[in-house]
Amino acid sequence: MAMASINATASNNVRAGGLSEQWRYRLISLVIIVVLLAAWEFAPRAGLVSAIILPPLSKVAHALLTLVQQDFFMRHFTVTLREILIGFVLGTLIGFGIGTALAIWPAVKRVSYPFVVGFQAIPKIVFAPLFIAWFGFGETSKVVMAVVIAFFPVLINTLVGLESVPEDARRLMRSIRATQLQTFYKVSLPHALPVIFAGVKAALTFAVIGAIVGEFVGASEGLGYLVDLYNHQLRIDRVFAVITILAAIGAGGYFLLEWLDAKLIFWRNEEGR
Amino acid sequence: MHSMTPEANPGPPGFASPPKPIVEARGLAKTFSISGSEVTALEGVDLSIRRGEFISFVGPSGCGKSTFLNMVAGLLSPTGGEALVNGVAVREPSRQVGFMFQTPVLLPWRTVEQNVLMPAEVFGRKDKAVRDKARSVIEAVGLGGFVGAYPRQLSGGMQQRVALARILTYEPEVLLMDEPFGALDEFTREAMNLELMRITRAAGITVLFVTHNITEAVFMSDRVVVMTPRPGKVSGMVDIALPRPREIGLMQKQAFADLIFEVRGILGHGHG
Ligand SMILES: Nc1ncnc2c1ncn2[C@@H]1O[C@H](COP(=O)(O)OP(=O)(O)OP(=O)(O)O)[C@@H](O)[C@H]1O
Ligand SMILES: [Mg+2]
Repeated sequence: MAMASINATASNNVRAGGLSEQWRYRLISLVIIVVLLAAWEFAPRAGLVSAIILPPLSKVAHALLTLVQQDFFMRHFTVTLREILIGFVLGTLIGFGIGTALAIWPAVKRVSYPFVVGFQAIPKIVFAPLFIAWFGFGETSKVVMAVVIAFFPVLINTLVGLESVPEDARRLMRSIRATQLQTFYKVSLPHALPVIFAGVKAALTFAVIGAIVGEFVGASEGLGYLVDLYNHQLRIDRVFAVITILAAIGAGGYFLLEWLDAKLIFWRNEEGR
Repeated sequence: MHSMTPEANPGPPGFASPPKPIVEARGLAKTFSISGSEVTALEGVDLSIRRGEFISFVGPSGCGKSTFLNMVAGLLSPTGGEALVNGVAVREPSRQVGFMFQTPVLLPWRTVEQNVLMPAEVFGRKDKAVRDKARSVIEAVGLGGFVGAYPRQLSGGMQQRVALARILTYEPEVLLMDEPFGALDEFTREAMNLELMRITRAAGITVLFVTHNITEAVFMSDRVVVMTPRPGKVSGMVDIALPRPREIGLMQKQAFADLIFEVRGILGHGHG
């Protein structure tokens, strides 16, 4: 707890440093973005790169606007969004469940940890064709792929977070005869929450990758399918348009999680990052 | 005092038995075996502590002070002898005994009041009476204006006060303290000691207090237990027959200096 008070002081110092500093960094980021976007627009126009390989920004923007107005687009969009969300939620729940089991029962950890590590060593993308064969061309195979990639960071962070509960806190709970369950939800879980949440954020990113990779390997709908299709048709402007949408999904979800994180773990404040 | 706890066993009828000790150690010993080699943390300790007594344990690092407290608390099982609280052998932690550590171990997501009420939640009795008790204890440790504050908003000393309030709220008969103010600065520590004495005296709580600081031990205690390491054992005891209530000025008195000298003598030379 001495830690906490030191942190509080640190945050006050940052605040004393002032908002202006924060805004200066934001301004720099903004300038960099503008420069990059301008380069994207003018490099193809000036013939520095082929406009087929990299269509100018304005063409991509135009492709994006037309694409989102198409009827078929909404179908592809919802399919992928659903795969990502289901994969993310299931992956998070499974990772949390296994991580908790490993942390609570040392015997379970000793027996299964080698398998967990071994499994993580496999580049799981190689499973994608297999999942298509097992679960078909539909959404299921993509959800499975997303789950398989997404659950691991949650598992590891849950395990690490739960195991980092200070020894004195455990002793305190024992000294008042708390049950294992009480110790878990009153002390261990809240203590581990910030670390678990970092894993959950990673899981979202991985769920997006899983769903898209699944669609690349074999699908008849979805945004990954569209990317693959337009790539073959050399409609690179549309490829970029779909990528933009995927980026927006990822960023939107991430910021939602950030917001939830700050609400849920209110005691950490901004200095804990 | 402790209206909710039963009185210590009365002696057999017809005998005028002396009051039963609230805490007792009978040949209490602990040997740790770490990868084959054995460490005797504590060699058979025999000790009887009266109800309401303030007793301190001093001695250099590794003499088994924490080991002793942990066995009285039921957090560690002895390898020889036994510890008794209210005449009953300790097998597991009990509500009669509160344990205060060197770190406050507050939960940062809980306010002062919520931290103090945490044991009550665990015991499943967070009723109006307990809430009122918590409020009055928070008041008593001098944090009346901070019931809704979070731990990170408090200084180290204030955090230890919360830890103390958390224990006092469930009204243990025995308070075990393992260098509770060791991490605090000299001034805060002195103030905390005075308050600790005042509060535990008023409530009639028996205190077992572990410290490295001889002056502090003599100032607060009715008795000082001096321990020495390798193997950890009790090498002597000093009764502190100084009048109460004790004021800071007491430290200037010759009687006080003599007692410190006596404790140092048992510890042997070379201990600060
Ligand atoms: N869990 C343990 N496993 C092995 N050895 C231990 C364990 N706990 C304590 N010991 C050993 O027992 C001895 C007594 O330890 P203890 O912590 O009781 O000493 P202490 O008097 O509290 O010391 P300090 O003043 O440094 O807190 C030491 O030699 C220590 O190394
Ligand atoms: Mg110790």
